[in-house]
Amino acid sequence: MKENSKKTPVSFPKNPLIEHYKKNVDMSLLRENLKLTPTERVKNLMALQKMAEELKKAGKKLRGEE
Amino acid sequence: MTDFEAIIKVLDVQKVSYIVVGGMAAIIHGSSRLTLDFDIVYDRSKENLGKLVKALAPSNPYLRGIPPGLPFEWSVKTLELGLNFTLTTSLGPIDLLGEITAGGGYQELIPKSVEVELFGYRCKALDLPTLIKVKRAVARPKDLDILSELESLLGEEE
Repeated sequence: MKENSKKTPVSFPKNPLIEHYKKNVDMSLLRENLKLTPTERVKNLMALQKMAEELKKAGKKLRGEE
Repeated sequence: MTDFEAIIKVLDVQKVSYIVVGGMAAIIHGSSRLTLDFDIVYDRSKENLGKLVKALAPSNPYLRGIPPGLPFEWSVKTLELGLNFTLTTSLGPIDLLGEITAGGGYQELIPKSVEVELFGYRCKALDLPTLIKVKRAVARPKDLDILSELESLLGEEE
């Protein structure tokens, strides 16, 4: 990734809600993502979208809505 | 499924000036959250609006969430009269944003963007600190959850 902006350390004031959610962040998953290229990350997203659509269809079928 | 590759390609072919923001920018920076739409801040110059209209015309853009059949003309004039457009297209949902809260418009966001290669095309995405700043300003419940991930990613970068 080519930065347009100068890289300076950034910090934000702590927000208690965000800090609470941080306890549930799967860092191993994020570190795996960071090993991928941006294109690979988007390809994974598209695969995830496809799976979500299939699950939605299966749920509808199960409820007799299809 | 949103065809992100096709969207990026049509924008690149017409040389549209835009910056990827929102959930898609989060994905580019390593987020694992599911997002369905392609959010961009676009340059509001008349020349760029013409390119944008030409790029998306074949995918039949229509306003998302309004009943089909209502008059909607996909044109430079329509884009000039509005600012933010949430569209449904044959390539997937696309949000065209003239400006974003706590970020501003295209020109203001250029120095706060990074260049990335997606599917072989060069494009700009909002940098991670600015994405966090913008999401903090909006602060919807879903943003707070995503922010926990983005701020963790920022910690990994530093």
